[in-house]
Amino acid sequence: MPTSAPLLRLVNVTKRYDSPANAGALTVLDQVTLEVARGESLAIVGPSGSGKSTLLQIIGTLDRPTSGSVALDGRDLSGLDDVQIAAVRNRQIGFVFQSHYLLPQCTVWENVLVPTLACADAALRDSAGERAERLLKRVGLGERKSHRPGELSGGERQRVAVVRALINQPQLLLADEPTGSLDHASAQQLGQLLLDLNREEGVTLIVVTHARDLAQRMGRVLELRDGRLVSSAGGLVL
Amino acid sequence: MTFWTLIRRSLRFHARAHLGVVLGAAIGSAALIGALVVGDSVRGSLRQRALDRIGKAQYLLESRDRLVTDSTNTWMAPFGNAHALGLHLPALASARQGAARANQVDLYGVQPGFWGFSTAQTHLHIETNAVLLNQPLATQLGVNAGDTVLLRFAKPALFSSEEPLSPQSRNSVALQLKVQEILTTAQLGDFSPVAGMTPPRNAFMRLDQLQQAAGLDGRANFVLEAGITAEQPKSFSKVRARLWEWIEQLGLGPPNWLWPMGVRDMLPADGAEALDSRLNNGWRAADAGLDFEILERQRAIELRSKRVFLDPAVVRLVTGPDVSQHGSSPAGFLSGRAELILTYLANLLQAGTNATPYSMVTAAGPPYMPADMRDDEILVTDWLADDLHVRPGDWIEMTSFVPESGAKLVESTNRFRVHGIVPLSGIYADRTLMPDFPGIENTDSTRDWDAGFPVDLKRIRPEDEAYWKEHRGTPKAFITLAAGQRMWGNRFGDVTAIRFPVPPGGSLEGSKRFWEVAFLCLVHPSELGLRFEPVRAQALKSAAQGQDFGQLFLGFSIFLVVAALLLMALLFQFGLEQRAAEVGTLLALGFTPKEVRRLFLREGAMLALGGSLLGVLGGLAYAKAMLWGLATVWRSAVGPSTLQFHATPLTLVIGIFAGTVVAVLTIWLTLRKQARRPARELLGGEVQSPRSKARSRGAWVALGAGVAAVGIVSWALIQGESANPGAFFGAGALLLIAGLGWAAAWFGRLARAAGAARLTLGGLGVRGCARRRKRSLATVALLACGAFLIVAIGVFRLDANRDATQRTSGTGGFALIGDATMPVVQDLNARSGREFFGLSADDLAGVNVVPLRVRAGDEASCLNLNRAQKPRLLGVKPELLAGRFTFADAAKGLDRRNGWELLRSSSRRKEALTDGSQMANGKSQMDQRLLTSVATGVDEVPAIGDANSIQWALGKKVGDTLDYVDEQGRAFKLRLVGAVANSILQGSLLIDEAEFVKRFPGESGYRMLLIDAPSNSVTQVSATLSRALQDVGLELTPAAERLNAFNAVQNTYLGTFQILGGLGLLLGSAGLGVVVLRNVLERRGELGLLVAVGFRRRALQRLVLSEHGALLILGLGIGIAAASVAVLPAILSPGTQLPYASLGLTLGAVLLNGALWTRLASWYALRGNLLEALRNE
Repeated sequence: MPTSAPLLRLVNVTKRYDSPANAGALTVLDQVTLEVARGESLAIVGPSGSGKSTLLQIIGTLDRPTSGSVALDGRDLSGLDDVQIAAVRNRQIGFVFQSHYLLPQCTVWENVLVPTLACADAALRDSAGERAERLLKRVGLGERKSHRPGELSGGERQRVAVVRALINQPQLLLADEPTGSLDHASAQQLGQLLLDLNREEGVTLIVVTHARDLAQRMGRVLELRDGRLVSSAGGLVL
Repeated sequence: MTFWTLIRRSLRFHARAHLGVVLGAAIGSAALIGALVVGDSVRGSLRQRALDRIGKAQYLLESRDRLVTDSTNTWMAPFGNAHALGLHLPALASARQGAARANQVDLYGVQPGFWGFSTAQTHLHIETNAVLLNQPLATQLGVNAGDTVLLRFAKPALFSSEEPLSPQSRNSVALQLKVQEILTTAQLGDFSPVAGMTPPRNAFMRLDQLQQAAGLDGRANFVLEAGITAEQPKSFSKVRARLWEWIEQLGLGPPNWLWPMGVRDMLPADGAEALDSRLNNGWRAADAGLDFEILERQRAIELRSKRVFLDPAVVRLVTGPDVSQHGSSPAGFLSGRAELILTYLANLLQAGTNATPYSMVTAAGPPYMPADMRDDEILVTDWLADDLHVRPGDWIEMTSFVPESGAKLVESTNRFRVHGIVPLSGIYADRTLMPDFPGIENTDSTRDWDAGFPVDLKRIRPEDEAYWKEHRGTPKAFITLAAGQRMWGNRFGDVTAIRFPVPPGGSLEGSKRFWEVAFLCLVHPSELGLRFEPVRAQALKSAAQGQDFGQLFLGFSIFLVVAALLLMALLFQFGLEQRAAEVGTLLALGFTPKEVRRLFLREGAMLALGGSLLGVLGGLAYAKAMLWGLATVWRSAVGPSTLQFHATPLTLVIGIFAGTVVAVLTIWLTLRKQARRPARELLGGEVQSPRSKARSRGAWVALGAGVAAVGIVSWALIQGESANPGAFFGAGALLLIAGLGWAAAWFGRLARAAGAARLTLGGLGVRGCARRRKRSLATVALLACGAFLIVAIGVFRLDANRDATQRTSGTGGFALIGDATMPVVQDLNARSGREFFGLSADDLAGVNVVPLRVRAGDEASCLNLNRAQKPRLLGVKPELLAGRFTFADAAKGLDRRNGWELLRSSSRRKEALTDGSQMANGKSQMDQRLLTSVATGVDEVPAIGDANSIQWALGKKVGDTLDYVDEQGRAFKLRLVGAVANSILQGSLLIDEAEFVKRFPGESGYRMLLIDAPSNSVTQVSATLSRALQDVGLELTPAAERLNAFNAVQNTYLGTFQILGGLGLLLGSAGLGVVVLRNVLERRGELGLLVAVGFRRRALQRLVLSEHGALLILGLGIGIAAASVAVLPAILSPGTQLPYASLGLTLGAVLLNGALWTRLASWYALRGNLLEALRNE
């Protein structure tokens, strides 16, 4: 359930890219302001090139805004150095991409545990195996943990990626077109899984997607239009 | 899940991609390990050769011309059966009626015990009139067992043959002997006391037979000893023993902790000291050629030497200035009772018109001299007074030879006032005052004298003959000892006898024994040069510190190593680029860039380790190939050495470690910029760095370097420095930089090009070079640098024929260099000397000879791979080499423009100038210097050597010192005061002849000759001299040929570098293939597009080939063009032979190899369905 203090707060986030000479700068995000409560599930939709992924990458600290601030759990991320940013990514954020990005050389079990290698929290590391076991069972892959990614279906790979994203018990799960490369059935399954985990694990979920049906299943839906974030009803998000 | 699990998984999963990286590391490591194993092999071979030449001997006493007795009393009691005595003489050998000859033969007379020192445990019995030859001598003479050889040698003269009173007859002995057996190396056939690379030519015969033939019954001049061993004690553990061996291989003394308690005194140097002490306990005066004789009539014991003059060390110890400090010691006791006597020949005693020829004159103190006798006064016997009609107060002129004048027979005349007349009776009628001048003492008539000077028979009157018959060598006059020593003192000594009067009633026999014992208490054999050297330890040290071929081949292989590492780095980086998404994922999962790099570095380290382990096999094969090269095509680099393959586990471990470290370092450099891109870009598969907006500085670099290169070449041409290799090499290097700068600028221009008016497929390909400018430039730079290095290195090839006649060249302007087996005493520049050898003035018209004295020692040239411990010394008169050779360096504070004058230390020059002795008024300035030298206590002698010898063979630099021991066992230092550049003097150190004769008086005559000859008659002069000096075993070599033999070492090294560098370049061109592959794989999508719009596959291949062919040609072109400028002086120089064929082949192979790899890579990358790639885009 949402609590009073938001988990994520974006204030006037702007992202511009330099363009070839005389073409002027390209503004992808324009003064975006957003608050996301703890445990909330949010879908961000919008046409191609609208800046959805850029917004998600800024939230996930994979990119930095040109201006504006991003605060996670009350902590402003703009002043952090690379090591602190890496720690935030490792401990507080989980990613699921359109492509699973599993390490082909590792088994399912190992892929799930890779984030723990960068984790400084020994207790968390020690209990990671148990969590991995539980989560893999939860996503229906309890029997596939010694398999390589190459031996799994697309949906299974994405489920492994979801478990990997949750292994360090993040507060925020970011999913960038998670069903983009899946067939309809697999996409349905994954969408439901994400929502279930959002509920069961208490993790805040932000999904960037083209898929309207997936978006509609989220607690809130926002749309990026001309660099601005508007509610799915068309009102500007404050 | 751990990092190692991840690394292990990655290694397995990417095994195929890693194969190239592992191979690259393996090649680099193989070159490293191979080079180290070559070093091991050279060291091992040198060690083997060192042990072969001394067998199981640990210590060697080499007394040279001081012959010790082979008495069992001296040797058996203190040394037991662990020693062997022998007689070593230089000899000439011939066989098959003179059809085969060998100079510089080492003839050994050996006892049966000698063979116990062979590693083969040979126990040979040499038959009478038989000889054993080692393989090299047998091969040179073309003889087998059962054949006959003729060995010729000179009877060693105890009395220096350079003394004017020394017998003129050469006493040459020829022995016809049957070859009993040809000895192998293991049978001690190559026995040699000195380290050198040329196997000795050895002949062995029975000691007793050689002694008899040489007239040296009961005498020997070397002793091998194995009694006190420097080997590890038996109680050593295996680990200790192994450690011991390694430490010994390194030429270091084993540390104390390695010794079990109580055996510390077994160290080699200590062992030698212990042996010296044992010798001191057992030796007798006779072992130093000294005799105590009973003079019954004079009631005295006399100490005299078979060398006529008593060693200064003996005299010094008995009567030296420090004797007073001995108090009641034996020295003090002896000195108080010793009478020093010096008797020499006066050629003429003259008073007015009266003259007495050939008279002995004794210089002594009391009781012969009255107390008030002055140094310019003389006592004459009544016989002489009558003969010269002189009375006290009259003046007598005494003419005698200057002993140091040798074959020049310089006389000096001094005036003496008659102090008194003594009767020819009593102490003044003592014929024993004359020393045993060989050739004089036993003759019945003055006319029968066999001396080094022609006796003027016209001068000899009947009364002189009558005197000789009645009184023999009884002196006719007496002068003070000081006066005699100033006239006749020389390097051999200035006393001919020491007498110890026996008190009245004393026993002569008892006194003799007493004096003998007292003498032995006082004089240590080492002070007379009788000392043991730890020859095994020295030999091993010499081998261990020998030429480091490991390092050398590491240098030669450096381009190969660098090329392999670059290839490895390239492959590794491409592998990383293919795994960009993985890097991005790890970053997204919270890994820091540093952690990601560390992860990949560990993975790379495992690959490097694997490559290095694989490289061991390659390294061993590489080393074998190099050794094969050194035995065949690069033979000149190692001279006559035979190298065997040796590899120690330690070397392999070091090689693996070094290979891994170097590869890891390279991977680390590659990784430095990895994982710095944002994760989102990496996840998107982007690997290309954003294009630099900065304009290339290449154009400016090209302009600057090009202008500088043109400037240098112009300067060189204007200044007439067209043969200056340094200037042209510098200009070439600048041109290379300019070329690369231009290439960078060109790539930049291509990248910015708006588009050609007419688009062609080739043009499109060439423009592709600009897509990855850094990658393209790196490829061009690698090829250009390789080509430049390989071609330009030829500029450093040496050619002795260039300027060979110039006095400043490496030949010193000398036409011939001669090495004689037996010393040449005669002056070949003087008529008398030439006549001695049957040469007429016409035979040697225009010929000038610079003679050099030789003290045998280690060969210190590049041809000797051992580290020379005691290099051969040459004694030369500095003025004879004035203006010869070019000085490369001089010690700090000295001016190299002083040239050979540097050999004279400042103290000695001062003494030479201030010596104005009245007594020496008839002597030349040079002779005065010699006299001064004897009295000088300078313990540091200036020396000059060849710069290469000093640096490489000795491991020293100008200004350093080397420790030596003179003939009398006194330590002194050689100070390297100067170095001459690249000369025929390699292999030796040169010192002032005056110092030489002072330190090594026993080394009579000259055994090296530097000969000037008119250029049109060099061959004829060589033939004439070789024939005339056949009996002294003179071997003449054209000086340019000798220099070329030295140069061949450097030239071969350069050749080796070129070949190994060529291999590296070939590898580099294979790298081009990798670049092609990567470039094409990256562009499969766009190439698919070209297919889609109708291009045929062949056209695409042409496109790819035109792009990468341009890089190949550009790289090689820039390198060759720059190198052409660098080698211009060599090309323009007459007689230079650049290795055009091998260079052409190498570069051609590089071009073909590059083209082949490009073709293969483009074929591989363009195979399959390119449209598929387009769909994936």
